[in-house]
Amino acid sequence: MIVLKRVSKVYPPDVHGLRDLSLHIKPGEFVSIVGTSGAGKTTLAKLLIAEERPTRGTIEIGGWDITNIKQREVPLLRRQIGVIFQDFKLLQKKTVWENVAFALEVAGETRRRIYDVVPHVLKIVGLDQKAHRFPQQLSGGEQQRVVIARSLVHRPKILLADEPTGNLDTMNTREIIDVLKKINSFGSTVVLVTHNREVVNALRQRVITLAEGRVISDQAEGKYLLPS
Amino acid sequence: MMIITSTGRIIAFAWKNFTRNAWIGLATIVVLVLSTLSVNILLGVNAVSDSALHRLEDKIDVSVYFLPETPPVILDSARAYMASLPQTKEIDLLSSDQALNDFKERHKNDPKILTALGELDKNPLGASIIIKAKTTADYPFLVEALQNPQFANYVESKTYDDNAAAIQRVQQISQSARYFGIMLIAIFTIFSILIVYNSIRIAIYTQREELGIMRLVGAGTAFVRLPLILSGVLQAILALLITALIVMTAIAFLDPKLRSLFDGGDSGLQGYFLINAWPLIGIQSAAIILLVALSSWAAAGKYLKK
Ligand SMILES: Nc1ncnc2c1ncn2[C@@H]1O[C@H](COP(=O)(O)OP(=O)(O)OP(=O)(O)O)[C@@H](O)[C@H]1O
Ligand SMILES: [Mg+2]
Repeated sequence: MIVLKRVSKVYPPDVHGLRDLSLHIKPGEFVSIVGTSGAGKTTLAKLLIAEERPTRGTIEIGGWDITNIKQREVPLLRRQIGVIFQDFKLLQKKTVWENVAFALEVAGETRRRIYDVVPHVLKIVGLDQKAHRFPQQLSGGEQQRVVIARSLVHRPKILLADEPTGNLDTMNTREIIDVLKKINSFGSTVVLVTHNREVVNALRQRVITLAEGRVISDQAEGKYLLPS
Repeated sequence: MMIITSTGRIIAFAWKNFTRNAWIGLATIVVLVLSTLSVNILLGVNAVSDSALHRLEDKIDVSVYFLPETPPVILDSARAYMASLPQTKEIDLLSSDQALNDFKERHKNDPKILTALGELDKNPLGASIIIKAKTTADYPFLVEALQNPQFANYVESKTYDDNAAAIQRVQQISQSARYFGIMLIAIFTIFSILIVYNSIRIAIYTQREELGIMRLVGAGTAFVRLPLILSGVLQAILALLITALIVMTAIAFLDPKLRSLFDGGDSGLQGYFLINAWPLIGIQSAAIILLVALSSWAAAGKYLKK
């Protein structure tokens, strides 16, 4: 599903984001990526959605070699990967419903399909009752769930979350992780970048630890190894 | 189906952009109006100064005074010869009788002059011809042509020598006024382009969050770019309408005032804009819309890269 072969990313002039990194993530896996600040986690996430291009190596997603993906093909890739970034916010002037519908509108989906999909994904994240609220009228966790709902509208095979719980308390963090687990149980691959020891340890899933742009540990049922 | 949905939605997005960012849009519109207006003001000033110069040029002529005893055949041949030259625009022959009548008419309230005139037994005034050239640059040639031996001996005097300096000055002024006007218009156009481009960049910058989200959720390029370009074009059209209204009002107001400065003659202001209405509207609309569309396209591109 996701295959990286000897990938390096150098930010000009000579900052190494990733060094000679190889990885293989199978369909349906729930993978946590951990590592100290600057280890290259966000760089990895950006490479997966073609926001950045690798300096060396190849990246394949679902059999599609995106190493040198053309600019006009990027939207197609983005519709196959649900993205949840920490600074990837909601539009404050739109309601929950409109924020989610937006992702379908800009992909040229029909009104009928929008009315089909939006209630469905809002239900998955448990916000169908709050569809007509504005983001300011929601808790941080609820807002992040709207972002997750929005990332689900194209039925992505992969969900990529970069520190989705970064600003949340324990309760809200648990809610988000529960939603991610639920989505994983439907068959989507989930890649979760996190700093949260409790979350990683409670998941009992595969954990990949990065340091200085390299994989230093990859355990099938891993624990959070780093000192915190 | 997909195309229709998308087209409709792009237009709807453009309209939303246009209305929701009304304040920033207003700034863009004001900049557009000021830029177009400044170019039009320069065009108008150019037109008026042009017609003022034309009027000055029009007042220039060469009068040739013949000796009173010049035979009519010589006068006629002189007139025919000068009229045949391609540089001649207009030629008038004033016979000595007409000259006398004119003179009497002019001094009819001056009995002293009239009695003095009555004491002469012969008409002291000779005939004259008044020549207007097609352009001021043609006068030296016409003056040269007056040296024709067929009639040169009968010429008493010419006014050209008195006018030569004035003619040259008018020529110089009109040349440099035209160059200056064109240069000013060019400079203003360049400034306008820079200002418009930057104001559009700022307007789009305020929407960067929404554009970033569009990109990450997989919006096609058209969905990011076209609404911005379309709402820019809407602003341009609005700005053009406002400019047209201001220009028309200004002409209606200024033209009569200028007429009095021109002794009731045409100031050239209204005429210039009327004669050139379609090219002016066409070129300015095309230029502004193209400028706005290209600026929006370029500014939006920043949010599409990577
Ligand atoms: N756009 C960029 N230009 C230059 N250097 C960059 C850029 N983005 C990241 N880097 C550098 O690449 C390295 C990896 O950064 P990255 O953001 O991937 O780390 P991270 O693991 O996500 O850290 P954190 O846990 O703090 O989010 C860092 O040294 C960082 O300074
Ligand atoms: Mg990061």
